[in-house]
Amino acid sequence: MEASGYVTLSRLSGLRREMDLVANNIANIGTQGYKSQGAVFSEFVATVPDGRSLSIGRATAWHMNMTDGVLGQTGGTYDLGIQGNGFFQIETPDGPRLSRAGAFTPSASGELVNMDGLRLLDAGGAPVFVPPNARDIGIAPDGTISADGVPVGQIGLWQPVDPLTLTYAGGNLLAAAEIEPATGGEIHQGFIEESNVEAVTEVARMIEVQRAYEQGQSFLDAEDERLRNMIQTVGR
Amino acid sequence: MKALQIAATGMAAQQMKVDVVSNNLANMSTTGYNARRADFADLHYQQYARPGTISSSDGSMLPTGIQIGLGVRPTSVSVILAQGSLTETGGDLDLAVEGKGYLEVTLPSGGSAYTRDGALKRSADGLIVTSDGFPVVPGITIPSDARSLSISNDGEIYVYFDDQVDAQLLGQLSLVGFTNEKGLEATGSNLFVESAASGSPNVGTPGLDGLGILRQGYLEESSVDSVREVTELIKAQRGYELNAKVITAADQMLAATTQVR
Repeated sequence: MEASGYVTLSRLSGLRREMDLVANNIANIGTQGYKSQGAVFSEFVATVPDGRSLSIGRATAWHMNMTDGVLGQTGGTYDLGIQGNGFFQIETPDGPRLSRAGAFTPSASGELVNMDGLRLLDAGGAPVFVPPNARDIGIAPDGTISADGVPVGQIGLWQPVDPLTLTYAGGNLLAAAEIEPATGGEIHQGFIEESNVEAVTEVARMIEVQRAYEQGQSFLDAEDERLRNMIQTVGR
Repeated sequence: MKALQIAATGMAAQQMKVDVVSNNLANMSTTGYNARRADFADLHYQQYARPGTISSSDGSMLPTGIQIGLGVRPTSVSVILAQGSLTETGGDLDLAVEGKGYLEVTLPSGGSAYTRDGALKRSADGLIVTSDGFPVVPGITIPSDARSLSISNDGEIYVYFDDQVDAQLLGQLSLVGFTNEKGLEATGSNLFVESAASGSPNVGTPGLDGLGILRQGYLEESSVDSVREVTELIKAQRGYELNAKVITAADQMLAATTQVR
């Protein structure tokens, strides 16, 4: 019987993790450029002493939902939304990171930084400098920045070499093992990509998780009942 | 179960958004006010199973592992830099800045503050001051016998006297630009002060060096877009409700746990 208890426990702890994921998705429903996360239950095959095997479902993998979020119009000069493939490259003390969050601002020294003060990097991997005296800054779909009609730089779009190595790094950043210039994406000035969390889907998942959890609970109850009966019958 | 705390960070974030929206709506008619926007970022992540963890007794490995985020945090409440529309007032000391730039004001402490609110007044002794009575740099006094006053687009102040045909140049108003306007620290009363993030003030003549021009007889209205604010409010409210729902669901799961014999 121990096995059925452990199988259920593993399922329950997986469901709790999934609940945490759903909670995190919902908490980030208003986070720009956020990509929703899903849990994947996978089979863990354990060998049991008498030579047979036992299959346990565990939530030990996840996936990142890479669909584009809605581009919300803000009108800001340095609000940049990416449509299609690609990420901004952000310089951090831990190395380059990728991001789809598009709210930037010039720093005191004139370099474009994100809202945490980390520098945005251009197509060549160098900081993006914006002339402070420019009256009008335009950013073209290919990332070219022009100050009063004169091109002054180009914001680059990047992608991970292996999308499977993408992990969440917090602060609207994603980490990847290796990155390369991306093609197929367009930058839209005056727009910000909103979170791609869909409220309906998340609420449906939440209910699903909750009910599955309660089901596991009642299964444990039933197992307990069965054992109790067995002990009483055999022990009589 | 972390869902409770995670949802709490979500509720706090949405609450902050409502606070920002309500401040914007409250300042819908404030001269020279620019709407603010709250931006958020995901909090750090907890690594449950690292990629490469053995997933079965035959040695197969997890390709991705599992990461659980711990919620959301506000990163900034920044000013949305947008030109408000100009309303004609006809006042000779009503100035609107069309384009970039701030008027410099001397605070009672002697420090400088910057404003886009151009509803200027005369003090008892003729000094040009803001509505709060702070003198506008460079501290120009209008003679009491001046008949009328004219301010050019580039900030030159001329006065006309009854006994003179030609106008007399009193002084020159300058505008101040910043590398990072969003980095200015708002101190209330339509005033901003310089911060380490804003960069140092670049004083210049209106119309030059990327600075805007001055328009006499106009005031810049608040740039709050009420439709946008209301949609933000709806989004924040629904977001708050969703997070509250997560708390309920997590609570029920915990209750189910305690009911196991």
